[in-house]
Amino acid sequence: MTSAVITPELALPASFWTRERKTGAVLVALGLVASVWFTLASPSSPATFYLGTSTQSGANFEIDGKIGCLVFGLIALAAGAILLATGKHYGLLVSISLAAFVLSALIWQVSTVHGSVPLGSLSTITMEASLPLIFGALAGVMCERSGVVNVAIEGQLLTGAFFAALFGTIAGSYWAALGAAAIGGALISLILAWLAIRFLVDQVVIGIVLNTFALGLTGFFYEQVMRTDTEAYNNPGGLPHWTIPGLSKIPIVGPAIFSGTLLTYVALALVVVLTIALFRTRWGLRTRAVGEHPAAADTVGIKVLGLRYVNVLVAGLIAGFGGAYFSMVTATSFTKNITGGLGFIALAAMIFGRWNPVGAFLAAVFFGFAKALSSLLQALQSPIPSEFLAMLPYIATIFAVAGLVGRVRAPAADGKPYVKG
Amino acid sequence: MRTTRGMKLIALAASAGLAFGAAACSKPPAETPGTGQSAGTYKACMVTDTGGIDDRSFNASSWAGMEAAKAANSNIATSYTASTAMSDYDPNLANSVTKGCNYIQSVGGLMGDATKKVAGANPNTQFSIVDADNLGLKNVFPIQFETQQAAFLAGYLAAGFSKTGKVGTYGGLPIGPVTIFMDGFADGVAHFNKVKGKNVQVLGWDKATQKGLFTNDFVKQEAGKQQSDTLVAQGADVILPVAGGAGLGSAAAAKAGNYSIIWVDADGYETTPYKDVMLSTVIKNSKDGVKEALSKAAGQKGTLLTGGFLGTLANNGVSLAPYHDFDSKVDPALKSEIEALKADIISGKIKVTSAAQPK
Repeated sequence: MTSAVITPELALPASFWTRERKTGAVLVALGLVASVWFTLASPSSPATFYLGTSTQSGANFEIDGKIGCLVFGLIALAAGAILLATGKHYGLLVSISLAAFVLSALIWQVSTVHGSVPLGSLSTITMEASLPLIFGALAGVMCERSGVVNVAIEGQLLTGAFFAALFGTIAGSYWAALGAAAIGGALISLILAWLAIRFLVDQVVIGIVLNTFALGLTGFFYEQVMRTDTEAYNNPGGLPHWTIPGLSKIPIVGPAIFSGTLLTYVALALVVVLTIALFRTRWGLRTRAVGEHPAAADTVGIKVLGLRYVNVLVAGLIAGFGGAYFSMVTATSFTKNITGGLGFIALAAMIFGRWNPVGAFLAAVFFGFAKALSSLLQALQSPIPSEFLAMLPYIATIFAVAGLVGRVRAPAADGKPYVKG
Repeated sequence: MRTTRGMKLIALAASAGLAFGAAACSKPPAETPGTGQSAGTYKACMVTDTGGIDDRSFNASSWAGMEAAKAANSNIATSYTASTAMSDYDPNLANSVTKGCNYIQSVGGLMGDATKKVAGANPNTQFSIVDADNLGLKNVFPIQFETQQAAFLAGYLAAGFSKTGKVGTYGGLPIGPVTIFMDGFADGVAHFNKVKGKNVQVLGWDKATQKGLFTNDFVKQEAGKQQSDTLVAQGADVILPVAGGAGLGSAAAAKAGNYSIIWVDADGYETTPYKDVMLSTVIKNSKDGVKEALSKAAGQKGTLLTGGFLGTLANNGVSLAPYHDFDSKVDPALKSEIEALKADIISGKIKVTSAAQPK
């Protein structure tokens, strides 16, 4: 057999308008908007940025509205132009350009209302808003890397939140609450794994059904048990706040990373642990093999189904644990549907993060930042309508998932049940 | 085939979830035993809005009004149906008619359209709605409040109590029954500034432009906490959350965040577990309004109610709650100024207006 040799003349000419160049053109347009429109619209009054968590005192610096808009607008423009010209360094240039664009817009808005931005508090709110998404997205990564689609993140978070409130109150200890939360998430995972692996049912369908199931069940027990005696069944108290002395004083990011509940620290640790485990350990290699090509993994002696069961269960533990956020970090009680659909945003974060723990973490933080920004601009009475600002996190997610990531590739065997052939 | 059996299990799980969900909604709460349908002959049914019966806010206090009317008149039997989505309003109201309810209570201005539709189709059934006018129908009894009057007092209190010179508020949705609190609050602060020559700032609401900070939700506590965190970072140390259950997130974090809360609708000191941060509450006495409407309706069974209930400072339909734990921390001079303001509003010497007030 002769192998087909493609001669250079016969190969399709590489189109000039690659995905990178198209993105570059869009970024140039954004940069133009920022450096022309924002600069013209912005008054020449200062926007004040505080490094700490309060706008009442502490170190701060001022940026003149017009100058700030122009400088960051030009940075956005330049990064876009380089991408357009070279088509290289896609990720880096896109990040720089978008960050500069957002900063330009922020300076425009803040200087318009003569406001001040507490950067430390902005990062703290960002971190707190990202927490459930980090746990949810990591749970998604765990499952899908081994080939099981996890649409049930929402249900796992919700069950975790419910178990934390119920058993935390009964046992009177937050350690019990956190343990129960993890187990709650794992219970949903168990059903997911059993139906997906044993009965080969479509995994997306199972996920949706499990979300309904969790919503109905927690809602029922909330009405029938918790509501009858709130003190005895729905009063878990908040998780204690731990601050690391010294480190928490680091400007801007210190209070976000080194001051928080146990969940903050566990989330950060999990990102690191999971990254190492997935890409540097035997378990990780096997997990990825099972997710990409289960038949090949099987022939070299990896127990495909067993590994999938374990991974899906651990994913449930992670998501369930994160569910405690809803009933013990931002609140001290459970209410019906307390997760309010954030599990689906976590799913989007996992895709935006390209099925990678670090990517998922960054995507979650991105969403959290959009939320914190929306809240800040509303509070500063920005001229942008508040309805639009409220949409900001979701619009950002849509753009991120649909536009920026381009063609992301899921693990090859994701969602496909494995039957020994 | 294994897949088929799997699908059966899936169908089972889905219907079980839905069944539990439905069961949770339609059952009366367990703490009101003896709500048997046989106990009374006048069936009064309430349909909650999406906040749910235990929002510690206006659904809860409307339900308390229903229970109070029942306690006073043994002929009345009460029950409620919880709505979990806006799309539930219409069917829940229609079901209440089918169940043979004599009196149907809608809670919240958001239920106006559904109530108008169902009440219009059943002109002989007595309807009543909290926070809306009579919708142009003879069989709808409106229960409304001059909430801005009490919120004005709260604004004055917050401005006088604030150490940082900044107070904050946020709402659930930019709708009349919410913004009326924020309007009154902002005016109260402005009045304080005028009288005292101070410059206390209101964050999160601008009465002139009707723009401000919203959670776009009445349930999510994390959304509430986020908004108050943002306000506190801007320097606010008294927060008025007008977002139903979502405001609980702010109340839960208030102690650690070193700020105090002015609750809305029902006295937060009694209805929430966060007693130690409740400076006061802008009480909207839905309880009395509903009780009055239901008692009258049950007393004249067969004839439709006329007029409506308008809660004001004068008839205690709206009020500022006691300071409870904060009693010793609020300056006595400030307290007496607020008493004087209250008298001035009742006498009409001070007029408090809001774009959202009952017409």
